[in-house]
Amino acid sequence: MNDMRLTERTVNANDIKIAARKVQVFYGTTHAIKDVDVDILDKTVTAFIGPSGCGKSTFLRCINRMNDTIDICRVEGDILLDGEDIYNKKVDPVQLRARVGMVFQKPNPFPKSIYDNVAYGPKIHGQVKNKAELDEVVEASLRKAALWNEVKDRLDAPGTGLSGGQQQRLCIARAVATSPEVLLMDEPCSALDPIATAQVEELIDELRENFSVVIVTHSMQQAARVSQRTAFFHLGNLVEFGETGQIFTNPRDPRTESYITGRIG
Amino acid sequence: MTLADMSHHRPSLYTQDARTKARNAAEKRFRIYGITAVTLGVLALIVLLTSVLGSGLGSFRQTMMTLPVTLDAAVLDKKGNRNPDEMAKATTITYGKVLAQALEAVVAEKGLAPEGMKAKEIGSLISKEAPAALRDMVLANPDLIGTTIEFNVLANGRIDGFFKGRVTMESAALDSNVSPAQLELAQALRDAGMLRLAFNWAFITNPDASELRPESAGLGVAILGSAYMMLIVLALALPIGVAASIYLEEFAPQNRFTDLIEVNIANLAAVPSIVFGILGLAVFINYAGLPQSSPLVGGLVLTLMTLPTIIIATRAALKAVPPSIKDAALGVGASKMQTIFHHLLPLALPGILTGTIIGLAQALGETAPLLLIGMVAFVKEYPAAPPEGFLDPAAALPVQVYNFTQRSDPAFIERASGAIIVLLVFLLAMNILAVLLRRRFERRW
Repeated sequence: MNDMRLTERTVNANDIKIAARKVQVFYGTTHAIKDVDVDILDKTVTAFIGPSGCGKSTFLRCINRMNDTIDICRVEGDILLDGEDIYNKKVDPVQLRARVGMVFQKPNPFPKSIYDNVAYGPKIHGQVKNKAELDEVVEASLRKAALWNEVKDRLDAPGTGLSGGQQQRLCIARAVATSPEVLLMDEPCSALDPIATAQVEELIDELRENFSVVIVTHSMQQAARVSQRTAFFHLGNLVEFGETGQIFTNPRDPRTESYITGRIG
Repeated sequence: MTLADMSHHRPSLYTQDARTKARNAAEKRFRIYGITAVTLGVLALIVLLTSVLGSGLGSFRQTMMTLPVTLDAAVLDKKGNRNPDEMAKATTITYGKVLAQALEAVVAEKGLAPEGMKAKEIGSLISKEAPAALRDMVLANPDLIGTTIEFNVLANGRIDGFFKGRVTMESAALDSNVSPAQLELAQALRDAGMLRLAFNWAFITNPDASELRPESAGLGVAILGSAYMMLIVLALALPIGVAASIYLEEFAPQNRFTDLIEVNIANLAAVPSIVFGILGLAVFINYAGLPQSSPLVGGLVLTLMTLPTIIIATRAALKAVPPSIKDAALGVGASKMQTIFHHLLPLALPGILTGTIIGLAQALGETAPLLLIGMVAFVKEYPAAPPEGFLDPAAALPVQVYNFTQRSDPAFIERASGAIIVLLVFLLAMNILAVLLRRRFERRW
């Protein structure tokens, strides 16, 4: 996590986890996403950056079909997860979301205990056989989210009683508890202070070992710190997509350059 | 330029300018309007409560006499075989004579009777309901025959009214139902400790009584009828209302048809209740052939009336659940049903319960539709235990109030106010329950 070595950062894994081809999203008559092609690699952190309203969150929500809940939203094009089209009629979004987890902008723990928050996913997906297994999953998930040591003595306390940063890490624990293959994060640090942000960023870097992480962020520094690959969205178009080092040090598109140097956005 | 110089150019903060003064005056006026409105409301409530309590509390105390009654076998069981079927031939007239004799004996023994008072006048101090009560008691337990028992009898409604200030010597002089001499005797009996005002459980448990015996009229059948109806309303309106709300809120597509349904539900809540009564009469009684005056029909009509209230409250409660919770549940892969039943419903529960209880309280106090489906009838028999009892004729509390007010004997005014008090106590209890449930289930997020 050293900004100075941005250019040296390379991508280790080259398996394509998610492939998006010619994705179009419409809200009613508004054309929100235009012709987006993106390949998201396995065990890599991919950052989506861009000014507000550029469609990066919309695109993120397409990847686990959270946009289905919006009646007027229509998605065209193909998004393939391991080569399977997630918008195929046979796909049940519930099953998809067990494999593609999501962490939201605002920490949103359930108004239940810390334990129940993390246990909920594995329980409804029937991933555990008994209480002992569930306990293990909960502990492992909380450890992955770097929250275990802080909450191990009060797993029965309500998740909503934690601090903002802890709540967000609880949400991450909840998302990783179902062992998803992809973790989508929609501005996970925008409601957090710098210390909590640093903790979550560190966590994202660790999560990369097991998951493919896609993070939407407004902070270019954050994108530079945590991601290996960066996509720059502008007005619904994917302007530039490449290795983070290249995007930040040697952008090919003038719009990217304007944005990262602060002239537009 | 120094600080002191600058202050010359600006008005001092110590004096209010015209604009600020006007704004403050407006705020002050508004506060006064508010306080006036609240005071008026509280005053109206106080007037209502004092008038109802003032005229109704009397019905919870009733004038009674305890008489030593000799149950002579020669009179009550002529065949002497203690067979209740045979004994039933002795009518209430016979028992009335037995009671009258018992009272006459007491009066004669103590020499309480004013001069020139006829025996018949003494006997009519006793309520007309008392012989039937004694007869029921003897038929239920024939072994009492031949013994002398201490029997509590109700005093006639006019005598009761005398001790509650409703009947005076002057009014008795003009009243064909009671004479000043009888009142004097009643006073003498009271002084002798034979007659007293006691707490009147019978007002809660007795069925209604006829015009001539207000002293025995009670709310038993009405309370049972209302309770049965509330059970039916709860069992039907809550699940139907919640299911409809969930469907409309979470599953229904947004189109003209659902908009139309939405508008109609909102309008249904404002439909005058008597319209529901006409509907109930036409559909449930005339078309479906359900029995009149039955709690089932009443409950069905009140269910129709309560549904919009519950649906509106439930939808508002579901809408009030933060969308982030729904996102969170969907995000971990919960299905729509799981999201609703694991997360939305528990969080909406306090609102749903409050809406339901307010709807039930409304239904409990509803009179007009029940009049149309025949619940206004005079019902003296208790309805059987549910479920059969749902089809038996019954009364309802608010209709009982209406019934009492329709009768000529002034003693029923007291009964009507007493019934209102009972109704208010039930409503208050339901509202307290709503508050408690709300507190119990409310969760912060």
